[in-house]
Amino acid sequence: MARNNDQTTGERHTDEQNADGNTTGSGYVRRRHFLQTAGAAAVTSTLAGCIPGGGDGGDNLEGPIRIGHLAPLQNPLGIGSRRTATMAVDQLSENGGIMDEEVEVVHADTGGNPGTAQTEAERLVAEEEVDVIVGTFVSEVTQAIMDYVAQEGVPLIVTGSSAPSTVTDFIGQDYERYKNFFRTGPINSTFQAEAMVDYVNHLNELHGWSSFAVVADDAAWVEPHLNVLPGALEEEGYDLVMEQSLNINIDDFSPVINDVVESDADAMIRFFAHINAAPLLVERAQRELTFGIEGIHVTGMHPAFAQLTEGAATYETTSQSGGGGTTGITENTVPFVESYRERYADSDPPVGHPMYMGFNTYDAINVYAEAVERGGTWDYGNDLDGIVDAMLATDHTGVAGQIQLYGPDAEYPHDAVETRDDEGTISNFPITQWQPQGALECVYPEQHATAEHMVPRW
Amino acid sequence: MLSGLPTVLVNAALISALYALIAIGFTMIFGVGGVLNLAHGALLMAGAYAYLLLARDTISVPVFESMTLHPLIAFPIAVVTVAVLSYLLYVVIVQFVEDNPIVTFLATIVVALAATEVVIHYAGASTQTYTLIPSDLLPSTVGFGPVDGILTVDVVGFVVSWIAIGLLWLYVTKTDSGRAIRATSMTERGARLTGVNVHAVRARTWLVAGALAGIGGVFLGASSSATPGMWLQPLSLAFIIVVIGGIGSIKGSIVAAYLIGFLQTGVGEYLGQNFRGILSLVLLIAVLFMLPQGLFGREYHE
Repeated sequence: MARNNDQTTGERHTDEQNADGNTTGSGYVRRRHFLQTAGAAAVTSTLAGCIPGGGDGGDNLEGPIRIGHLAPLQNPLGIGSRRTATMAVDQLSENGGIMDEEVEVVHADTGGNPGTAQTEAERLVAEEEVDVIVGTFVSEVTQAIMDYVAQEGVPLIVTGSSAPSTVTDFIGQDYERYKNFFRTGPINSTFQAEAMVDYVNHLNELHGWSSFAVVADDAAWVEPHLNVLPGALEEEGYDLVMEQSLNINIDDFSPVINDVVESDADAMIRFFAHINAAPLLVERAQRELTFGIEGIHVTGMHPAFAQLTEGAATYETTSQSGGGGTTGITENTVPFVESYRERYADSDPPVGHPMYMGFNTYDAINVYAEAVERGGTWDYGNDLDGIVDAMLATDHTGVAGQIQLYGPDAEYPHDAVETRDDEGTISNFPITQWQPQGALECVYPEQHATAEHMVPRW
Repeated sequence: MLSGLPTVLVNAALISALYALIAIGFTMIFGVGGVLNLAHGALLMAGAYAYLLLARDTISVPVFESMTLHPLIAFPIAVVTVAVLSYLLYVVIVQFVEDNPIVTFLATIVVALAATEVVIHYAGASTQTYTLIPSDLLPSTVGFGPVDGILTVDVVGFVVSWIAIGLLWLYVTKTDSGRAIRATSMTERGARLTGVNVHAVRARTWLVAGALAGIGGVFLGASSSATPGMWLQPLSLAFIIVVIGGIGSIKGSIVAAYLIGFLQTGVGEYLGQNFRGILSLVLLIAVLFMLPQGLFGREYHE
C-alpha cells in the first residue's frame, strides 16, 4: 500500500500549484502563472525520469524478487489480470518462493494510455526496483514503453497485446537491443488470422456459410487480420463482401449493420479490442438479424457480458486465450479457473473467470519463475543473457496452453509459439460463443469444444 | 450507394433529435449564467446509470437497493433524479465560483472526473445495456416507408425529444418563470432592473437543463450503452453544436444539432465511418472564423 505514496504526493503538489495560481491577480496574470507552474511541473516530471541512480538494475542478488504488473487496472480485463498476477505470486510464495527468495508483485495502472504507461514503467523500474515487468494490453502502449524497457534491460513479458509489429519492429530489427522482450501469449495476430481461416472453414462445413464481411478496429493489432485474412478467405473460395476498418470511437453502429445486411453476408467477422460492440449487438438482437458475429471482441469476454447486455450478446463468438475457462486447454486450465472463481467469488465484479489477459499473465509469471530457477539468476543488470537463455528454454504447461518461445533467429523472436495439432491447425486459439440463457461454450477447435456453434435464431 | 439515401435520412433525423437533447441543456446554462458546464456530460451519464439502477438489478449502491421497476416508472424517476443532481451541482458548488470562469471550468471538469470514478466504483468499468421500450408495449423495430428495421427506441427518442423541446418552448415563452430565464440570458442587468431574481433564475435553469440532460442520457444509454467514459463524446458534441448554433441560443442549438447529425451520418455513409467526426470539426472551425457568433448568435445581448 505504501507504494501509492509517491503518486499521492505528486497529485498534492499539483493541487497546491493550482490553488496558488487561482489566488494571483487578474485573469491574464493568473493564466500566465498557471501555465508557468504547469509547465514547470511538466518539465520536472520529465526530468525525473532521467535522473540516474533510482534503479540499481537489479544487480544485487538479494530478495525479494519483485514482479511489476502493468495493465489498465480499471478495465475488467485489467482487473482479471491483476487478480491472476496476485494469485500466481501467492502460489509461488506458498511453495517457497523463487530460488528460496520471497516474491512480491507491484501493480501499476496504464489507464490504456501510452504516456501513463511510460511514467508507470519508469516508476516500476526506478522506484519499485522490479526485476521483471509483466502485462500491457494495448499494442500501442506496449510499443511506447519498449525503448525505455530496452535501455534498462529489465525483462518485459507481454501478456495482452498481439500486434506482430511489437516483435518485428523491435527485437526483430535489433536483437541485441531488445532481447529482454518476451511474449508468452496471446499468439500474435498473424497466427490469429491464420487460425481464423481454419475456423471459417469449420463454419462453412457446419452451416454452409460462404460470404463474409470483415470489420475491424482502426488500430495496430488488427493489421495482420486486415492484410492476411481477406486474401486468405478469397483463396479458400469464399466471398469477401465487405471490408471496413472503424474509428475506435464509433458510437453509431446502424450504418455498419445496414452495410452488413445489404452485403448479404452469412457472417460478420469483426476484430474489436478497442471498440465496444455492445450497442451493435443490441441493435442486431432487436432487429432479429441472423448473420453470425464471429472473430474477436474483447469487451465480449467479460464473464457477465451476456447478462450485462440483457442477452443481446447471445450467439456472438470471440476467440480468447484460455477459452474463458470453459474447457481444459491443458490439464491446468479448469483447476486454475475454479480456484480463481472461488477466491474472488465475493469480490467486486467482474467475478467468474478472468478475461484472456488474466490467463496469459498467470502463465507469464510462472514461466518467469521457472526460468529464474532454471538459469539460477534474476539479475538482469549483470546477467541478462542468462535470463534470456533460461526463458528461451521454456516448455511450460500453462493455463492458456503449452508455452514455448521462438528463438533469436525466428521470424518472431521471443514470441509465443502457436500450438498445432497433427494436421497443422492452430489449436491454442479457442473460440467461445454466448449461447442462450447466458451460457458460455467453447465451440472451436473441436478437441476443446464443449458445444456446437449455433446459428443466430431469434 | 445512393439507394441507401432514405435510410441515411431517417437515421440522421433520429440521431439529430438525440443530439438536440444533449445540447440544449448545455446551451441554456451558458446562456443564463455564462457558465461552461463541463459536468454536462456527467449529467447525461447520471441519467443512464440512474435508469440502470432503477430498472435493472446489475448494480447496487449503499442504502439504495437495486430494483427492477417498469421502464415507464423508472424513466421519469431517473429524469427527476438528474434534474435534482444538476440543481445540487449549482447550489452546492457552482454558485460560489461562477464569477470566475477558470475556477468554474476546473470545478465542473473535476465533478465530471469524480463522477467517472464513482460510476467505476459502484457499477464497474463494464459496458451495460438496457431496454427502454418493453417488448410487450411496442415491437422492437418499425418500418418507415422504404426503410426497414428502425429501432423503436430511437423513434421514441425522436418523439420525446420534440415533446421536450415543445414544452421547453412553451415554458420560456408563455410562463413568467420561463420568460425570466430568457430575459436573463438576453441581458442580466435588464432582468435585474425588471425585478427578476437572477439567482433563482440560474438555479431554475440548472434544474430544467438537468431534466433535459436526464432525458438525453437515458436515451443515449439505451441507443448505445452505458459506460463510465460515456460522457466525454457527448460533451464535445454539445460543445461543437453550441458553438455552431450560437452560444446561448436554444433555437441555434436545435438547428446545429440537426446540421451535425445529418452531416455525420451522411459523411459516415458516403465517405466512410472514419470521417464521421472530422467534418464536424472542420465545420466548427469554419463557423469560428466566419460566424464567430454562431449561426444564430445570442438572441439579444446588451
